[in-house]
Amino acid sequence: MSSESSKKRKPKVIRSDGAPAEGKRNRSDMEQEGKYYSEEAEVDLRDPGRDYELYKYTCQELQRLMAEIQDLKSRGGKDVAIEIEERRIQSCVHFMTLKKLNRLAHIRLKKGRDQTHEAKQKVDAYHLQLQNLLYEVMHLQKEITKCLEFKSKHEEIDLVSLEEFYKEAPPDISKAEVTMGDPHQQTLARLDWELEQRKRLAEKYRECLSNKEKILKEIEVKKEYLSSLQPRLNSIMQASLPVQEYLFMPFDQAHKQYETARHLPPPLYVLFVQATAYGQACDKTLSVAIEGSVDEAKALFKPPDDSQDDESDSDAEEEQTTKRRRPTLGVQLDDKRKEMLKRHPLSVMVDLKCKDDSMLHLTFYYLMNLNILTVKAKVTTAMELITPISAGDLLSPDSVLSCLYPGDHGKKTPNPANQYQFDKVGILTLRDYVIDLGHPYLWVQKLGGLHFPKEQPQHTVIADHSLSASHMETTMKLLKTRVQSRLALHKQFASLEHGIVPITSDCQYLFPAKVVSRLVKWVTIAHEDYMELHFTKDIVEAGLAGDTNLYYMALIERGTAKLQAAVVVNPGYSSIPPIFQLCLNWKGEKTNSNDDNIRAMESEVNVCYKELCGPRPSHQLLTNQLQRLCVLLDVYLETESHDDSVEGPKEFPQEKMCLRLFRGPSRMKPFKYNHPQGFFSHR
Amino acid sequence: MALGWLHWLPRLLVLGLVLALPRATTGEQAPGAWRHKTTAFAGSAGNIQVLGASKRSGSRARPVSGRLRHTGSTLGLVVPEMERATPLAVPLGQAEVFQALQRLHMTIFSQSVSPCGKFLAAGNNYGQIAIFSLSAALSSEAKEESKKPVVTFQAHDGPVYSMVSTDRQLLSAGDGEVKAWLWAEILKKGCKEMWRRQPPYRTSLEVPEINALLLVPKENSLILAGGDCQLHTMDLETGTFTRALRGHTDYIHCLALRERSPEVLSGSEDGAVRLWDLRTAKEAQIIEVYKHEECSRPHNGRWIGCLATDADWMVCGGGPALTLWHLRSSTPTTIFPMRAPQKHVTFYQDLILSAGQGHCINHWQLSGELKAQVPGSSPGLLSLSLNQQPAAPECKVLTAAGNSCRVDVFTNLGYRAFSLSF
Repeated sequence: MSSESSKKRKPKVIRSDGAPAEGKRNRSDMEQEGKYYSEEAEVDLRDPGRDYELYKYTCQELQRLMAEIQDLKSRGGKDVAIEIEERRIQSCVHFMTLKKLNRLAHIRLKKGRDQTHEAKQKVDAYHLQLQNLLYEVMHLQKEITKCLEFKSKHEEIDLVSLEEFYKEAPPDISKAEVTMGDPHQQTLARLDWELEQRKRLAEKYRECLSNKEKILKEIEVKKEYLSSLQPRLNSIMQASLPVQEYLFMPFDQAHKQYETARHLPPPLYVLFVQATAYGQACDKTLSVAIEGSVDEAKALFKPPDDSQDDESDSDAEEEQTTKRRRPTLGVQLDDKRKEMLKRHPLSVMVDLKCKDDSMLHLTFYYLMNLNILTVKAKVTTAMELITPISAGDLLSPDSVLSCLYPGDHGKKTPNPANQYQFDKVGILTLRDYVIDLGHPYLWVQKLGGLHFPKEQPQHTVIADHSLSASHMETTMKLLKTRVQSRLALHKQFASLEHGIVPITSDCQYLFPAKVVSRLVKWVTIAHEDYMELHFTKDIVEAGLAGDTNLYYMALIERGTAKLQAAVVVNPGYSSIPPIFQLCLNWKGEKTNSNDDNIRAMESEVNVCYKELCGPRPSHQLLTNQLQRLCVLLDVYLETESHDDSVEGPKEFPQEKMCLRLFRGPSRMKPFKYNHPQGFFSHR
Repeated sequence: MALGWLHWLPRLLVLGLVLALPRATTGEQAPGAWRHKTTAFAGSAGNIQVLGASKRSGSRARPVSGRLRHTGSTLGLVVPEMERATPLAVPLGQAEVFQALQRLHMTIFSQSVSPCGKFLAAGNNYGQIAIFSLSAALSSEAKEESKKPVVTFQAHDGPVYSMVSTDRQLLSAGDGEVKAWLWAEILKKGCKEMWRRQPPYRTSLEVPEINALLLVPKENSLILAGGDCQLHTMDLETGTFTRALRGHTDYIHCLALRERSPEVLSGSEDGAVRLWDLRTAKEAQIIEVYKHEECSRPHNGRWIGCLATDADWMVCGGGPALTLWHLRSSTPTTIFPMRAPQKHVTFYQDLILSAGQGHCINHWQLSGELKAQVPGSSPGLLSLSLNQQPAAPECKVLTAAGNSCRVDVFTNLGYRAFSLSF
């Protein structure tokens, strides 16, 4: 208790020391002064740390005083009231201090806030400024790139080169001393020079135009003069007609033909011109004419010549057909096919006259949409021919010209583009239409100057005069020999069918006078039959039995011996020899596979045919071969060694004179006939 | 042990090989008759090893290597037809037709292997000689072109009936003349003849042909025989004709030399085989084959077309049947049952190979049994040639030619491997 009281006293003592009083006074002084200057100023002067100490001290004091008061009150007594009063006063003072401190704290807070706000505003302002500056930079950069990218029109102008500019431009434009170093000035100067030059050229252009105008006028005048000449010339022509007729000068007729020829499609035109030229220059027997309706041709070619573009042409036609009506699919295809295979209304007739007055009529057609030429052939003879049965195919228009050149059958279209056209309209091959349209032989295309690529892809399909000219002569000659050899065969077949082998006198020396073997049969056989014969295998395997060849069967007999000969006649007869295959029926069947001498006989007629050709153009070849075959059979039979074991005389006594019967390892018989002496020897 | 000449056989073929024993391997044959047994098995290394149990005098089975062995006619190999002619679609011009006809009617009369063993000369009826490279055609990378001649040249005007090769030269004969060509130059394609000789003929309308040439190495001479019914001996050193052996009454088809004694056999159209002693230039023996009933075939004629000899044995054929003769006793031992006249015959090991009319090569046992008939590509065969040059073991083949432009090559006796073609 005592300690407590002492404690209570102590602050009292301290207070009574006067120091706090002094402070109080000071404070009060200051409070009094606060009327003149605000507490805010005071805040600046005071140290917040000390204020905090003061606050703690004040709180302690208040606690102590409160405790003392409570203590006093609980004790009770008389003087207690006074002491309590005293203590209350002291507490009040402390409360005052607390209030003061509270105020100060508030002011400090406010001040701190103000300061923070101020700083924040400053930062904001700076930020804004920065933004503005950045935007400005960006804008400037954009401007710079815009400037850099600027395209001046002068860059598109094609200027003369630098050296040329300095060489040609006058010094007052080039100003070499200024422009040499300064590319800008240089460009300006060059542009100036360009302008100067262009001005000059424009001037020239104007001059030329006026010149042209002048010349046009002159032409106009001359034209007028010429057109006035035309009627006068016509009248002169009219007047000269009777004179022409009187003097047998068919200028006019030829002129008319040429007039017609103008309407021919290009390939036929080339053919016509070249054939006429060839006829005039080399072969007077050749006559050329144009057939067909000129008006139709004219109508066809109103839009000038687009025969090259036949593809689109036919397309257009197809469209028209579909528009016109809607027929059934079959009819439509049929129409399309007809359209595809349409011939040009004009055709060229070429007549070849051979020596014996037989004629070969060739009619050339042009298939507009296929862009190929076709030919129809017809042979007429001076005399009426008796047609042997086996000669049926020889002069038929279908085969008379086949294989004029090796491999040229005229059954396929030579234009490779056609296949696609055919696919479109469902034509399998041209073969089925050939009889109607004529044969598209390769040589015909060449005569018409059409060259289609075969293996090497190098040619374009245009009508070419030089091509036609280069083929005209050989082709015409080939045609003539073909017709002649066919006619010769035709004649020969007639007698062959009667068992007579006609030998002309100039070939007589090839054979002995007495030939016993006789031809008894000469018939035509089908290709398939030939293929099926057992003794023709070699020829078939060697590829010599194509379906364009003509096939015959000859039968030669002597006594009981029968020699069958299957003959292949190439369409290119007589430059390509007929090929014989033999089968002898005598003491068994003998063919080249089981008898060396039969093989030798075959090679006598097939390989050694050249000595049998006779005089050119060797039309006797086939008959000479047959006759030799008869001789060979005689030799074969007469020299056959006689079998001693068989009784009776030989069937074929040896009549031919032979030096030796057999020779060499394969025991050949003497098949070679020596003419003047008349004996047989070995080859 | 490996058979060098079979190396080219693809391994697959070898692995798939099914071999059957020859039919004629029974043991119940007469004593003295040769028994022959062949066993072959496919080695995993791709070689074929052939074991031959050759039982002449009861010797033990020994492996035979490097020798051309018959492996049975029923060899289970399926060989594709290589040169089957396919019909050409291309139409032919004049020259091509003529060429095709010429090829079609070609006959190859004679063959000869070069001394190096790598080339084969073949002479045809047009007088041409073609040289084929066997080594190229047999090599594993052989193409179609390597089966065509390396070089072809016109040697004679008439057919080339006979050819032989010395160690440097190729001798060819046909139309009365014998011509020599240097092999080295032929292979360099410089085909110039070295020399030509004509035997002294009596004048005649027709120059007699030479059907057979025969080299007699001991004397360094050449024997020519043919159309004038004589054998002419020519000294190869000097080129002079030393002797003429007369006796045949018709032209001579073939010649054969006896290995030990200097004796020559000749077969003629007159039906006789004559044995000549070269030392005395006299005829030692005549066998008139057609007079022996067992082998005479009058409908075929008397002529002797082919002849071969081995020790005391001689085989000959032609008009009469192919017959094996014992020379010392001049008796026919075996008559081979072949209807068609034979044009070439040769001994080969314990077999006789013969060929003639018909497209097969006949393999005969000495007992007269037909062991195999191996088909070739020609309808008739005229000559067989066995390339046994030791210099080229890899080219050891049998070639056969006749009535076609093809020379069939048999690498194994059992089947035709391919054909060389003119």
